[in-house]
This record gives sequence, C-alpha cells and structure tokens, in this order.
Amino acid sequence: MKVMKTLGQSLPRMDAPGKVTGTAVYAADFVLPGMLYAKVLRSREPHARLVRIDASRAAKIPGVRAVITAEDVPDVRYGGSVKDETVFARDRIRFAGQPLAAVAATTLDAAAEALAAIDVVYEPLPPILDVAAALAPGAPLVHEDWASYTALPILHRDGNVCNRARIVLGDIERGFEEADRIFEHRFTTASVHQGYTEPRAAVAQWDSSGQVTVWSNTQLPFEIQTTLSEILQIASSKVRVIVPGIGGGFGGKLRVGVEHFAALLARKTGRPVKVMTTSEDELTAAYARQPAIVELKTGVTKDGRLTAREGRLWFDTGAFAGSGPGVASVATLMLAGPYRIPNLLLEGRAVYTNKTNFGSFRAPSGPQANFAVESQMDAIADALGIDPLDFRLKNIVREGEEGPTGQVLTAVGLEECLLKAADAIGWRDRRPSPGRGKGLACGWWTTTGGSSGVYVKVNSDGTVALNTGAAEIGTGALTGAAQVLAEDLGVRLADINVVSADTLSTPFDFGAQGSRTAFAVGNACRAAVAELKRQLFTLAAKHLDVDESALELRDASVIATAEDKRATLAELARLSQASGGGLIAHGTFVAPPTAYDAKRVEGHMYPAFHSPSFHAHAVDLSVDAETGEITVHRYVVAQDVGFAMNPKYIEGQIEGGVAQGLGQALSEEIVYERGHVLNANLTDYKMPTTLDLPRIESILVQHPSLVGPYGAKGVGEPPNIEPPAAVANAVASAVGIRMTTLPITAEKVALALRERAK
Amino acid sequence: MPLTLTVNGDAHQVLAEPHRTLLEVLRTDLGLTGTKENCLEAECGVCTVLLDGAAVNACILLAAQCQGRSIVTIEGLAAPGDMHPLQRAFIDHGAVQCGYCIPGMILSAKAYLDDNPEPSEDQVRQALAGNLCRCTGYQKITEAVMSAARTCRGAPRVPRGALSVGGLGAITGASARLSGPPA
Repeated sequence: MKVMKTLGQSLPRMDAPGKVTGTAVYAADFVLPGMLYAKVLRSREPHARLVRIDASRAAKIPGVRAVITAEDVPDVRYGGSVKDETVFARDRIRFAGQPLAAVAATTLDAAAEALAAIDVVYEPLPPILDVAAALAPGAPLVHEDWASYTALPILHRDGNVCNRARIVLGDIERGFEEADRIFEHRFTTASVHQGYTEPRAAVAQWDSSGQVTVWSNTQLPFEIQTTLSEILQIASSKVRVIVPGIGGGFGGKLRVGVEHFAALLARKTGRPVKVMTTSEDELTAAYARQPAIVELKTGVTKDGRLTAREGRLWFDTGAFAGSGPGVASVATLMLAGPYRIPNLLLEGRAVYTNKTNFGSFRAPSGPQANFAVESQMDAIADALGIDPLDFRLKNIVREGEEGPTGQVLTAVGLEECLLKAADAIGWRDRRPSPGRGKGLACGWWTTTGGSSGVYVKVNSDGTVALNTGAAEIGTGALTGAAQVLAEDLGVRLADINVVSADTLSTPFDFGAQGSRTAFAVGNACRAAVAELKRQLFTLAAKHLDVDESALELRDASVIATAEDKRATLAELARLSQASGGGLIAHGTFVAPPTAYDAKRVEGHMYPAFHSPSFHAHAVDLSVDAETGEITVHRYVVAQDVGFAMNPKYIEGQIEGGVAQGLGQALSEEIVYERGHVLNANLTDYKMPTTLDLPRIESILVQHPSLVGPYGAKGVGEPPNIEPPAAVANAVASAVGIRMTTLPITAEKVALALRERAK
Repeated sequence: MPLTLTVNGDAHQVLAEPHRTLLEVLRTDLGLTGTKENCLEAECGVCTVLLDGAAVNACILLAAQCQGRSIVTIEGLAAPGDMHPLQRAFIDHGAVQCGYCIPGMILSAKAYLDDNPEPSEDQVRQALAGNLCRCTGYQKITEAVMSAARTCRGAPRVPRGALSVGGLGAITGASARLSGPPA
C-alpha cells in the first residue's frame, strides 16, 4: 500500500487561525450597509383560532419600516416530505411559538417595541399535548386538511399520523413461539435541543435584477434555495444562498427557520434585513429532537439467541411533519439494532401534536431507539443470567450477514468495538463497589448518501482551489476532504484553499448532514483528481516529449522517472493558462444505492444504511444512594470509522458527541406544560459544562468501507447515539434500578431508590 | 451619552444610550465581531472579554460602566499577525471545531492563567465552567489551556509541528488508540 503523506494524519484544520483570532465571520456577525433588524412575533397559545391580528399601531412606531403577516406573503404550503407548513399562521395557530408576524426596523429596540404593539386576538382551542392524545379515538386533527396536502406518495399517512414506516421480516408469531422467554418494555425520552452556540441567523438583500442573496448559517444551502423559491414564488435561480461561518448545527440548521423572514422583509423594504433567533426562540420554536415512546417485545431462547422482535416507536413531530416521516423511517432500522433477529415487525410513526416542529438532531432517532434497544438487551441478559457483553456477542451482525431490510453488511467492526470498549473500561469488574457500576451499549449508523460535486483548480503558482457546495459546520469535514485532495494530487494541505457553500458559484452538494461531508466531498475530490490527471498528463507528455504512460503524479509534479524529466503543477498550470484556459476539473460522487429487499419495507424513506458504521460505548459511574446524583468517572468509545482520515478531529467528534449524549442522558429536557415550554432559557435548559463531563477515551477501529475515500465511514453522528443507553445500563449495574425515561435525573433516580426501599 | 472606551489599547469615542451593552457597542459600533453573541443573559460565555484584566460577560455589562476602563477582545490578544500561546495551543490540540465559543473560551483562560500560572486540570475546568461549548466536550480545550500554561511559564512546550508529524497511528492525543483493519 502506498505510504500516505497527508491523509491519516492529525493535521490542524484549515479554518482554525481565523477562529482563534476572531477574524472568522459567522452569519451572526454578518452586516451590510443600511441593514434593518427584524423580529418575529410568535403565538402565545399552543392551539387557537387566530381571530384578528392588527399591526396598524406597530407600523407607526418610529424606525419601523415594515410589518408583515400572513396577508402579506404568498399563500403557499411548503415542507419536505409533506407540504403542511406556512410562513405565518393564517387562521389556525398550531403551537406556542408559531410565527404570526415579523417586523423590520432600523434598530432592534424599535423592532421589539413594534412587536409589543401588534394586537392579536386568540380564540383558544384545547391543545393536543402528546402522542397519546393525538392517537386517542376521536382525537381532533392537528391538520384537518391533511389528506389534501402534497406529500411523498410512499408515506403512510392517516389523520394525526404523518407517516408510519414499517419493516416486516420472517414470521413474527413463529419467532415468538420459538422463544423460551419474551420480554416487554416501554421507554420514553424527552426533547433535547442541538444547543449550537451561534443562534440561527440570516441576512437577505435583493438586487435590481430581482435576485435575492441570503447569507445564512444553514447546513443545507441548496435546500434553503429550493424552499425559498417556493415561499417567495420566484425561480430558484433568483435565490442565491451563501453560507459564512457556522457556529454549530448538529441538524438544527437544516430547514428554513429565519431566512424566509429576512427575504420577505427585505423585498418589502428594499433594504437588507437581518434576522437572528433568541434563546427563547430556539427552545420554543426550533427543530429540537423529537420526544419518543418506544415499546419493545423481544423473544429469546434460554441460551440467549434472539428469535423475534416487535418494536413500535412513536415520535411527537409537533405541529408539522418536517423531518418526522424520514426520522420515523430511520428509527425502524435502529429498533432492529445491530443484531441478527430472524423475525421482525418494526414500526416508526411521526405524530402531529400542538408543539414546535421537532426535527433532526445528530443521528436523528438514534439515541431514542438505541436507549430502548440497548436497555432491553441488558435487562434480558440480566434476567437470563448471561453477561451483557456475551449476550451481545452472541447476537451481533457479522461480516456478510444481512441487515434488517436485507442489505448485505460489509466491513463490520462491531465485535472489535465491543471487545475493546469492554476491555478499556475493565468490564469483568462490572460492579467494583456498592453504588458504582459499568454499562455497555452498542449500535450502528449510516453514512448518508446524496451527491456531491467539486471543482478543483490548479493555480499558476501551483496552489490548488477546492470549490465545494458543502458547508463547514465545525466538524472539520472539509479539512478532511482537502486532505484527500492533497494526498491524491501530491500537494501539501497548506497549498489548498477552500471556497464553499454558495449556490450560485459552487457545485451542488447534498449538504452537511448525515455524517456525509468528508465521505462524499472526499470522494468527489478523488474523481476530480482523476480528471485533472488526464489534463495534466496530456499537457506534460507534450511538454516533456514523453509518452503519457511513462508519467506519474507526485510531489506537486508530473514526473517521467525513467527519463528524469519533470514538470511542476505550477508550470503545467501556466502552460494551460497560455494555451487552454487553465487547469480545472469537475469531480462528482453519488453514493451507490445500497441493495435491500423492498418487500420488507412500507412507508420507508430510508430503507438501508449506506457504508454503516459500528460502535460500542462503555461507562463507569457512581450513583449517590441519598441524592440519586450520578457521577461519571470514565467514558470509553470504540468506533469503527473505516479509515481515520484525521484522527485528532475524529476524537473531537467522539468527545463532542458523547458530551451531547450525556446531556441527553442526564440533564437536558425541554419541559412542556400544557403546550408551553417552561425552561426556554439557558439557565434552566441544562447543557453540560466543563464540570459535568468526564475524560472521554477514544479507540478508533478501522474496517474500511468499500465506498468511502480510502475506506472512511461517516463519523460525526454516531458518538451521540449510545450514551443514554450506556448510562442507563451502568445505573442498573450500580444500584439495580432500570431507568426507562430520559433524562435520568438525580431526582428520578432518588425517587426510584426510595420507591424500592418501601 | 458620549463615552470613551479603551479597547485593545485604542481609545474610542462612542455615543451610546445608557441601556446599551458593551457587547452591542463592540459588535455594532466598533465592528469587533470576534466577541460573539448568543444568549444575552450571561449563561453561555461566548461574549467574554477582558475588563481591566478580568473575564466578564459583555452581554450584561453596560457600555457606560466601562468608561475609562481597559477592554481587551480576542482581536487584541496578540499583535496583528501574531498569536498568543493560548491561540496556538487551541490550534495545536485540535480544540477548535465550529469555533463560535472559542474567543470567549480563550479570554476566560487568559484571565485565569494570568493569576494562576500553574493550574491543575480541575482548576482549568473550574475556570472555564462559564463558557459553554457544544462541539468539543471540553477535553481538548482543557488540554490546550494546560499546554498554554506550560508555555507561558516558559517551560518547553510541545513543538508546534507535533500535530502534523507522523503517519497512521502516530497520534499525539493521550487518549486515542488506533487499530488496523482485520488481517
């Protein structure tokens, strides 16, 4: 194998100097001359008829340049798989936080004053507060006209259910008959917010040709372009979306959230307009993780072989479908777990309620489903008297076996992950002292598909420009892709400049989502280098007067070793500029479809996992017998990353993903009461600080993907999946209590301990 | 009201209503957007600046309270083109992901190290407890601050290139281990 010079090394990320010196410009920092500031008026009622909205007083406030309501915007329903959403509530209000009006003013103070001067008359209606209420017989419909909405035809929709995805395999009844024991459990999880430190922000400006340019911290500039063209009712080519720096996304910045307000107000006022969310907006009206209910019925033989699983998961998707139908689909693959179970009936539902439209958060559906599956695995192992590690090893999927929908699994590094994580945590001493215990959890995840294009240009000084439609959301994925480019082209990483995420000037990219950026953009870079090589060799053969077959590309040169001739990339670029318009290549990649058995799925938007990754987490913690407080001592992750393109930043993904996962496990919850969020601020929404987290140890396992660049798999989302289950299992080891709701707060543990003592 | 603010060594004359915060004046009037904006209630720490050497949340400090006092923002931590050891350490230790919390994090660390040049890791974690980071899990940030503290004390530091040398398996982070593909 070729010795790598750039890839596989922990090179510093390319954007780090700007970020540590404060010169990097984020969307929240972005300003234009003459810019107005906007604020959004949001409903105070979770469910109501909007009787009247009167902005006449607000419009007269000095400094106010425009007030818009549903009357002022195109009457369009938009959305992803179901078009059920409007810019503002028109007649019916469906959640507390739903936009009713927006104001643009010369100062934020004037905009705030104007919001307070908008008169709204509500006629409150009884809200549908949770999934149980939404599914009760005779429950009112959140969307009475649901059947008339445009939606993906494959979805199974019915009233308040905006999708039911299903996997059916084998004969579930026979599977349970073959079982010696059948275990049934129910789990619930709370909503948690992505917690990016940069609020969602956008600045919009129209030009005289009727084009609007939007600078936004979105993860998906091309999706925002399409959605804005629907909302604004203009051609998508008239919408240009540019992504400056992004202060974290984690799935919360996928969909339109502020961009449309900026564009509509800028159109109305003829001036640039900036919109930025507040913490209250974020916690009441953003795309936080769906609360979930999971019911699992699993059959097992007495020697620990899984025979059947019936699993149902209900997501509260809130007032709109949003990501719900897709996430409910992914959930069914997660309910199977990384296990060989011959008989399956798995269902995921996304259910409308009168809450914010919950969305995608790093490994959407992963933590909720994994918490249930892996908690139940431990409960079964304990009941059968089998060590939980041995029970998993007996049932995990192996190389060449099938996934739940029939995909053939390759590069399965799961056993190695489990053994290494267990070894590192000292598994065989699972209950080292009273109140202290260790927990394991494992899982699998996808590397999302979709296509990516890049332009790669060689400059006259031999440096290289990488032009990609993907946005760098903080993971370092574009540094990883540039490392692939540097490796293949034989240049230094320092010689590469990245231009990214501008829908007008950069090639298409499916976006920074689903752990795909380094994977897909890296592969597109490989394709671009293959094309550049053809251009370079044609030029060099002529220039050096040698046969093309004698040439190789290395050390920033095209070299004919036998004849001791070489031409540098700089020389060849200059030659091309003088004769042929310069050296540039278009590289593209689309993940090849992963074959699956279509007969096993229904209503499914995500029937197989591309280049799946496998992972195991292990935690060592103590539970205070009096207060229920949990102290995490150590946390170990063994993750099959396929190939570690940049180990340092993969560790960073693991550490950060575990931190978010421990937040979801232990402290984070958006608390609802009667449809209102009680803790819409960062004092009461409790994200982990430096003092709340243990050292996190990373073990990078490498079973190369057949598709990824140099074997890499997606790495960003997986570390967020297993922490809740690992913690719950460790709590059970420590104090013998099985916690079935997230978060596992000290209060809940203390109450459970007290209950048991009775 | 007219104010004189000394920011990064330069005296700025600004006109600011009494209720305006230092954060607004820095970002809007002076264009110093390295100081970040988020929660506006002193919970997240992205707006941290140094006021007479102490780390403060600029979002809840009135600009008028800073009259005649010395303010340092991330832009003023090192001379143009140069970097403070903390800034270098954050790069070298892979402590930066999205980067939005980093200016505040570095300034909190700077204020702490100025008074406590030989901190333990626990003390560093205490000092940074008011700065939220959602990307890193704080581990590499803590390592970077410990390393910068050594540099500031004049002890030999890990050479700058440490992050960039070695092939597969040569990982500088204390925590990582690699294993190869199956034979």
